[in-house]
Amino acid sequence: MQLGTVQVSVQWEVRKKQTPLLSVLTLIGALGIGFLWVGFVFVFLGVDPVFALQKIFIGSFGSLYGWKESLTKGIPLFLISSGLCVAYQAKFWNIGAESQLLMGAVCSTWFGLQFGASLSPILGIPLMFFVGFLGGALWGVIPAILKVRFGMNEVISTLMMNYVAAEFVSYLIVGPWKGSTKYGYPYTDDLPKHLLLGTIPGTRIHYVTLVLGIVISMALFILLYRTKFGYEVRVVGESPEAAKYAGIDFFRTSLWIMIISGGVAGMAGVGEVAGIHHHLSYPGNISAGYGFTAIITAWLGKLNPLGSLLSGLFFAGILVGGDAIQISLRLPAATVHIFNGILLFVLLIGNFFLNYRPVVQIRRR
Amino acid sequence: MKKIVSVLIGLIIAGLLFGTLLGCSGKKEAPAKEAQKAEQPAKKLKAGFIYIGPVGDYGWSNAHDVGRKYAQSKLPWLETVIVESVPEGDAIRIIDRLVNEEKCNVIFTTSFGYMDDTVKAAEKYKNTLFFHCSGFKRASNLGTYFAELYQMYYLNGLMAGVLTQSNKVGYVGAFPISEVIRHIDAYALGVKEANPKAKVEVRWIFSWYDPAKAKEAAQSLVAAGADVLAFTEDSPSVIEVGQEHMKKGKKVYTFSHYSPMQKFGEDSVVSGQLVDWGPMYVKILTDVYNGQKDFTNYDLWWLAAENVALLGGEIGQPINPKFVDLLKSKKIKSKDLGEMNAYDYVMKRYEQFKANQFEPFTGPIKDQKGVERIPAGKKADPAHLLSIEYFVDNVVGEIPRK
Repeated sequence: MQLGTVQVSVQWEVRKKQTPLLSVLTLIGALGIGFLWVGFVFVFLGVDPVFALQKIFIGSFGSLYGWKESLTKGIPLFLISSGLCVAYQAKFWNIGAESQLLMGAVCSTWFGLQFGASLSPILGIPLMFFVGFLGGALWGVIPAILKVRFGMNEVISTLMMNYVAAEFVSYLIVGPWKGSTKYGYPYTDDLPKHLLLGTIPGTRIHYVTLVLGIVISMALFILLYRTKFGYEVRVVGESPEAAKYAGIDFFRTSLWIMIISGGVAGMAGVGEVAGIHHHLSYPGNISAGYGFTAIITAWLGKLNPLGSLLSGLFFAGILVGGDAIQISLRLPAATVHIFNGILLFVLLIGNFFLNYRPVVQIRRR
Repeated sequence: MKKIVSVLIGLIIAGLLFGTLLGCSGKKEAPAKEAQKAEQPAKKLKAGFIYIGPVGDYGWSNAHDVGRKYAQSKLPWLETVIVESVPEGDAIRIIDRLVNEEKCNVIFTTSFGYMDDTVKAAEKYKNTLFFHCSGFKRASNLGTYFAELYQMYYLNGLMAGVLTQSNKVGYVGAFPISEVIRHIDAYALGVKEANPKAKVEVRWIFSWYDPAKAKEAAQSLVAAGADVLAFTEDSPSVIEVGQEHMKKGKKVYTFSHYSPMQKFGEDSVVSGQLVDWGPMYVKILTDVYNGQKDFTNYDLWWLAAENVALLGGEIGQPINPKFVDLLKSKKIKSKDLGEMNAYDYVMKRYEQFKANQFEPFTGPIKDQKGVERIPAGKKADPAHLLSIEYFVDNVVGEIPRK
C-alpha cells in the first residue's frame, strides 16, 4: 500500500510464545466480536439481540435441559474429533470421518441383527462396539493404503468415500436390509431390545458411549504425548523426511493412524445407532454431519484429544442452542447456520492472531 | 500443553459465566409473561408443528405449512409455532422444547420417521396431545392422520393412457416405499384402464429432494421413448424437462406433484395431484378444542371425499385448460361407465371418488409376475394399500428388494 511517499507494509510473524493469558484473551475477544456481529444480524432480522442470545444460551448451557442435550450431541463429536486429532497431528487429512461413522453404524447394525438375539448385553454391547470399530477402521485404512502405496491424495479419497458410504447405506435400507416391521419404509428392523444402550434417566445421553468418548480421548492424549507411537505420529506430521531418517515406518504409522481415527468414528456410529435411532436409516439421519463438524472441533481443540472434549461440548451447545433461534425467535432454520458460521469464523481468525503477530512497518521513501 | 489447558479452562469459564449470567436474567422475565397469560382467561390452544424439511421447499413440508396457516386463519383461538428441517433423530429434543418452553398443548409431527419419538413423547407428556402424520401407532393422547393421493394418481394415469403415442409412460420415483409404490400402481391402473397396451416405466432416484437426479431420470425416460411423465419428488424438475421438450416441438406431457407446479410448465402439465392439509388441521384442532380426550382410535385417512386430495396442477384447475379439448377428442371405455370422452370420463371418476363410489384397486389385480394379488370383484382394504410392496402387471421396472 502506498500513501504518498510513505510505504506501509504488514508482515506476519510467527509468535514464539503463546502465553496462557494471551490465549484466554484471544478467545474472549473473538467470542465478543462474534456475539457482537451475531447481535447485528439479529437486529437486522428484527429481534432483540440480548433476548436472542439469552434464549440461545439458556438452551445450551444455561439450563439443566440444555446441558442434557448438549452432552447428547457432543458424544459423537468427542469420539470423532479426538480420533481426528491423531490423524491431523500426522498431517494425514482425513475428511472421511462421516463415512467411517456410517460404516461403523452399518457393521454394528449387521452384527446386532444377525447375532444379537442370542447374545447377552454384557457380551453383545462390547462386541457391537468392536465390530463398529472394525468397520470404521477398515473404511479408514483404504485411503491410507491408497496414499502410501499409490500416492493418492487422501483429501480426495476420504472425501469421495463419504459418498460411497452414504449411497451404500441408502442401498442397504431400501434393498436387502429393509425391515419387515417398518411398513415398507426404508429402515432396518430395530436392534434387539437388550442390545440398546441405556440412557441416563430423563435424558437421551447414552452413557456407555459418553464414558467411552471421554476414556478414549484421554487414552489418545496419552498415546499422542506419552508414547513412542505418539512421538512418531508427530514426527511424521512435522517432517516426513526426518521420520524416514529416524527409521519410522511411514506405511505402518499411516495404517495405525487411520485404524484409530476411522475406528473411533465407527464407534460413534455404533453409539448413534444403538443409543439414539435403534435401527439404520437414511445416512443423513444417522449422522447430522458429525464427521464434518468434528473436523472443526478437532482444530478448535488445537488437535489435542482432551481439547476436543471441550470444543466438542462447546460446539454441541451451539448446535443445540440454535434450536432456540427457530422455536423462540421464530426465525428460519437457516439463521442457525449463519449464527454457527459467524462464531466459527471469529474463532478461527482469533486462532490466526494467536499464532501470528502482525508487524507493521512504515518507511519513508 | 499448558497453553492448551489454559485455553480450555478459559473456554469453560467464559461459557459458564455467559450461560449463568444470561440464565439468571432470563428467569426474571418468566413471571412477567405468566402474568400476561393470566389476564386473558379465554381458552386458547397452542400448537407446535415439526417439519422434516425447510418450509420453503416445494413439497411436503411446505404443504403442511400452508395447511397450518389455513388453520391459523380459520381458528381465532389458535397460536402456532413451527420448527423446520428437524432430522429424525432430533425430534424428541424439539418436542421437549415445545412442551417445556413453548407450553404447546398440541404437537404435530409430520414425518413417518418421527413415529417412535412421538410415541415416547406421548408417554412422557400425558397432558400434551400429539398427532403423528402417516404413522400407525396410537395412544390416548396420540392420534394419527394422513391425506392420501392415490386416487389422484389413478386419474392422472387415465389421462396419461390416452395421451401417450409411444405407449410408454414414465414415472420418476423417490424411494421404493409403500406410499410411492401405491401411487405408481394407482397410476398404472389408470393407464391400463385407458390404454391396455401402454406400459409404465419407473426410475428410482432414492431421494425426496434432488432436482439434478430427478432431471436426469426424466431425461433418460424420454430418451427411452416415454412421452408422459409423472413423479414423486419435491421440485418441479421433471416438469421443466417436459416443458423444454414441448418448447422444442417434442410432445412430453407431465403431471404436477403435491404442490401447484403448473406454472413451471404451462405447455406440458396436463394435471396433477394436490394436497390440502388445511381442512385436516382445522378438524383435528377443533376436536381438541371441543374437549375430546381419548385419541386411541383417532386415525384420519382422508382422500378425495374429504377434499384434501385434489386433482390438478394449479388450485382451482383440475385439468389445464390448454389440454381440455385434446382430452375431449379421446375416448375411454369401461364396463361400468361405458364409452365417454376422456375429459368427461376423468371428471366422472373424480365425482365417484368424492362420493366414495369407486375403488381403483378392485380385483382382479395381478402383479408383474402374474400372481393374483387381489381376487376378482374384491376391493383392497386399507391395510393392503398401506403395506403394498408389488407392482401391478403393466409396470416395467423393479422394486429394489431382498
